[in-house]
Amino acid sequence: MIELSITGTNAITFPYLEVWDWRIVIYLFLGGLSAGMLVMCSIANLRIPKQPVEELAQCFKAPFIAFISLAIGAPFILLDLGRPFNSFWLFSTFQPLSLMSWGAWGVPAVLLGNALYMFAVIPKEQRYKLRLPILIKISEKLAPKMRPIAKLNFALGIFLGIYTGVLLSSFSAIPLWNNATLPILFLVSALSSGAAMIVIIAHKPEIKFLFTKIDIWLIVAELVVIMLFFYGLYTSTAPYKKAIEPFFSLTSEHFIFTMALIAIFLLLPLALRLKLGELKEFEDGFHGEFTKEQIFRMNFAAILVLAGTLILRAAIVYAGQLTKLGAY
Amino acid sequence: MPRYVMVIDVERCIGCMACVITCKKENDVPAEHYRTRVVEEVRGEFPHLRMELRSELCNHCENAPCIDACPTRASYRAKDGTVQIDKIKCIGCKACILACPYDARYSHPKGYADKCTFCEHRIKEGKKPACVETCLGKSRIFGDLDEPNSEVAELLKKYDASVRLEFAGTKPRVFYIKKKFAGGM
Amino acid sequence: MSITRRDFLKIGAVTAGALAASAPAIKSVMALGKKPVSLPQYIPTTCEMCFWRCGVIAKVVDGKVVKLDGNPLHPNSRGKLCARGHGGIGLLYDPDRLKTPLINTGARGEAKFKKASWDEALGYVADKMQKIKEKYGAESIALLTHGTISTYFMHLLQAYGSPNFAMPSFALCRGARGVAFEVTFGEDVGNPERLDLQNSKAIVLIGSHLGENAHNSQCQEFAEAIGKGATLIVVDPRFSTAAGKAKYWLPIKPATDLALLLAWCNVIINEGLYDKDYVARYTTGFNEVVQAVKEYTPDWAEKETDIPASIIVETARVLGKNKPSVLIHPGRHTSWYGDNVQRQRAVAILTALLGAYGRPGGIYLNPKKKFEPVFLSEEDYPDHKPALNKGNYPFAGEEGVTHAIVKATLTEEPYPIKAWFTTGTNIMKAMPNQRDTLKAVQKLDLLVAVDMMPYDGVMLADVVLPECTYLERHDDFFVVKERALGISIRQPVVQPMYDTKPGWWIAKELGKRLGLERYFSWNTFEEFLKHKAEVWGIDYSELAKNGYINFPESEKPYIQPGEDFKFKTPSGKIELYSKELKEHGFDPVPKYTKHEQPPEGWFRLIYGRAPVHTFSRTTNNPSLWELMEENVAWINAKVAKRKGLKNGDYIVLVNQDGVKSNKVRAKVTERIRPDCIYMVHGFGSTSKMLRKAYLRGADDQQLITRYAIDPISGTVGMRVNFVKVTKEV
Repeated sequence: MIELSITGTNAITFPYLEVWDWRIVIYLFLGGLSAGMLVMCSIANLRIPKQPVEELAQCFKAPFIAFISLAIGAPFILLDLGRPFNSFWLFSTFQPLSLMSWGAWGVPAVLLGNALYMFAVIPKEQRYKLRLPILIKISEKLAPKMRPIAKLNFALGIFLGIYTGVLLSSFSAIPLWNNATLPILFLVSALSSGAAMIVIIAHKPEIKFLFTKIDIWLIVAELVVIMLFFYGLYTSTAPYKKAIEPFFSLTSEHFIFTMALIAIFLLLPLALRLKLGELKEFEDGFHGEFTKEQIFRMNFAAILVLAGTLILRAAIVYAGQLTKLGAY
Repeated sequence: MPRYVMVIDVERCIGCMACVITCKKENDVPAEHYRTRVVEEVRGEFPHLRMELRSELCNHCENAPCIDACPTRASYRAKDGTVQIDKIKCIGCKACILACPYDARYSHPKGYADKCTFCEHRIKEGKKPACVETCLGKSRIFGDLDEPNSEVAELLKKYDASVRLEFAGTKPRVFYIKKKFAGGM
Repeated sequence: MSITRRDFLKIGAVTAGALAASAPAIKSVMALGKKPVSLPQYIPTTCEMCFWRCGVIAKVVDGKVVKLDGNPLHPNSRGKLCARGHGGIGLLYDPDRLKTPLINTGARGEAKFKKASWDEALGYVADKMQKIKEKYGAESIALLTHGTISTYFMHLLQAYGSPNFAMPSFALCRGARGVAFEVTFGEDVGNPERLDLQNSKAIVLIGSHLGENAHNSQCQEFAEAIGKGATLIVVDPRFSTAAGKAKYWLPIKPATDLALLLAWCNVIINEGLYDKDYVARYTTGFNEVVQAVKEYTPDWAEKETDIPASIIVETARVLGKNKPSVLIHPGRHTSWYGDNVQRQRAVAILTALLGAYGRPGGIYLNPKKKFEPVFLSEEDYPDHKPALNKGNYPFAGEEGVTHAIVKATLTEEPYPIKAWFTTGTNIMKAMPNQRDTLKAVQKLDLLVAVDMMPYDGVMLADVVLPECTYLERHDDFFVVKERALGISIRQPVVQPMYDTKPGWWIAKELGKRLGLERYFSWNTFEEFLKHKAEVWGIDYSELAKNGYINFPESEKPYIQPGEDFKFKTPSGKIELYSKELKEHGFDPVPKYTKHEQPPEGWFRLIYGRAPVHTFSRTTNNPSLWELMEENVAWINAKVAKRKGLKNGDYIVLVNQDGVKSNKVRAKVTERIRPDCIYMVHGFGSTSKMLRKAYLRGADDQQLITRYAIDPISGTVGMRVNFVKVTKEV
């Protein structure tokens, strides 16, 4: 055993890091949600090529909510800034090795692409709601370019989803974060949360059902990646192995992380089970109408997925800061 | 251009803590924040004990993760090779604090990231950093490694030097030397 | 976005360097900035954060002290300061400082203070003093004092007719060492101790934790010795920082140090490892020592001390091999048990056997030069009744014995003591047995405290007189007896804050009100200092400018080989066998006495210091408080495990007399013997006016209700208290 006493420690880094908090969790969650929704609705748009664009009215809601969630989420990182009024300096340079810099340029880019997408998919009959003639004009101009814009948003969504993970994984000093699985995990869970959100907001049974089906694959993928994430760290060197201890610890101090992991492994499979049940009922004989009960179950499963995603991000953000690369 | 380094002779540290506080006064470090610290590690079981005392500070890494992490170039490498912070450009995103494997940085109450500057302002005047100046044990030695006759160059030629968390690949410029092994009974 | 003042100063300083000749130009350049900033001033003075008295250079900007650094000219600092020295700014700007005179309106010790003017407070004190003098005589006014302020108040009290002063620094600290060295070598080892550490090849620290005890230049030399590869032997029941540097750590059973010292003498004599020529030439009584230590074999000592005989022999050989460059550290706080002087005598004898006194790497000699005393006044002091401040201890020092004052106050024998002045000392934290102190305080007609901070002892006072800090006042010159003689000055670097006054002013003003004006014939203390400088033939302005004047020609550190050196003892030789002690009925060569060991389930309470604090003086200093907010109770890890204690748990200590400590965190550690509990001294303040230190940590002195008295010197033994650990908080 080492007896350690240190004179001159800073509370922000000792005994463990307390640098990023719930604001970053919200940012990562809403950012991921937005990313997932962009990917999902662009898939929807691109997957139903025969239908005229006008019939995809419901697709307006998805990019709109994606936009809103990113627009709400992004300020949370500003809230965390020590000197938010200095943030204009972010745009004086681009630092390719700084994920913060990627975010500074990337998030506005995503928002812009997202906005274009909204304008492109807004149904003709609803354009009048834009009020300003210029906006209506933009909308009219962009509508025919809906497909390339959807492709662009697919790419932006993937970028955003990965970015939320790399933002953490780029810190070599933080063993829990600093591994290549984390961006994949965050991307998959972002996609899953996006699909879940679309299930909740969609009216059309087909859409709901389509994304329920997609989400099944994503949840399975997410569970596999989570396991790979932990296994990868477990089989790594000391600090990395130590980094996952909070998730498997029964001491009161870290029990919350064990709880979080248990919660994730209850919520996601439960959602999976509900969704598989849905799938079965659908195949057994679907008559074009969902019962209220079925809709509730689909929404409930989606909410479980969202909750799981949020818990996952919170647990990783907080637990990561508990373990250092060095001995203390 | 000079290559400033600090060599810490852990044998000579007697744990007086003068460095910790002179640094605070010299650099106007706010209450309950520190740019340098003294670490005391004791291993073993009574009565067979070993102690290591060493001071720690920003390593002014050649391969500095804090500079990489900074989105605004507020953290930058100065011409003399030291790692510095331009507090005007710092937005307080704290990415550098997370990026540093040595916990060398803290968040100043005014919002910006702050850390040891190797007493940049003193070096410019030809003085030693405040902690080196006052180190009772002369455990902290500062100088220019490119100057072949400097004390730091001599020490690093003569003795095995280690750096903190060498495996992190940061190439620190703070070196720790142990001239001999000391232990308990 | 703003350029800080510091940046601005930097620019200012650089500009000033380039354009030093054209000062007006700088001013106009600076006027272009936001607001003109003056250039820093560097003013030398002498530190008082502890009593090492280092040379300090204060950096003052716009009337504010921004940095303190060591004066390179001063041998006690050598350009460096310890943590406390740098933290002096914290004392100066501590918001809890005493700001105005205070008068207690409640019962004694209630601390129901009302603010008062100096005139009112001093008038009140003078009035009470006159009444006491009329009724009991001036001798009934006693002074408990420490530090530079003693000069003025000892003068004042003696001028008034009382010889009864006592400094904790004798009986409660280093008195026994002084007596032992005077008896053996004819002179004390000095303050700072004249240790030639930087040249030592082997060093023994016995009950000293140098490093944690951050005596500036001594620490510097200690590190130098370690850096040069000196063999370090640390005898301490606790694995101190110094022990961490040692080749040999001997975790001795407390209270048995004398056994180890005598066993070392035994081995060194038996194996012929002593310095034969030196012993023959400079010492007397060697044969008596040979006889006396015969019985103290390593095997015997092993049973007493828990240190294996083989290690005792091995370490004795290390000392013998490295003689005479061996330093047996004489310690400083040596008031441990009832045989302090004899134990310190053994240290002195061992030093002499190794030929280390006056030899490189041992203890160097006093400088040759001396200054004639210049008194604060030419007036003679009035006659008085015999002093009671030394008790009945034949070797008690001129500094007096604190417990003699307390005892006389309680018993009113040989005559009553009716007033106490406490100046620069926290009587609650410095003196053992607080219950006696409090009882004595209740018997007084007047208790006056002069201090900078509202320490626990100050809270008992009827009248509190706020002294300004060392950065705001003149004090008497410090004659520094390093290898060479030197003079150090203390002068204000800023003006006194609030309504605080220098110690000399308080004494002088009080003297005025007592009709003692003729004893204070100077207007300001600087006037007196200038006079003194003139008498001594030194340039005052040079001293004020540089802070220190050195007399290198006075250096004569070593006895030359073959030199006919006379020691200041009656025999002119080192008295290994002391006739003086014999004449007073004490053992002329130390004999081992067994001390009581804690019964099963009890621990011996031992205490010490931390590098960032000085006694109880600094626990509220914001700059130092943040480095160590409270003390912890060190407890052996295996014992703690048995008791179900975890590191950081709050515990309460209860001593043999049922006194309970404040709650204190347990430091569960392998670094201490299972039979002791260790605490850093000075914490657990009960003064609510010390807002940072109030009830932080536990007070070791509170648990020291029992103390042994050394009959030779009157120094006390405070390591004779046993405590139990309870988890109840």
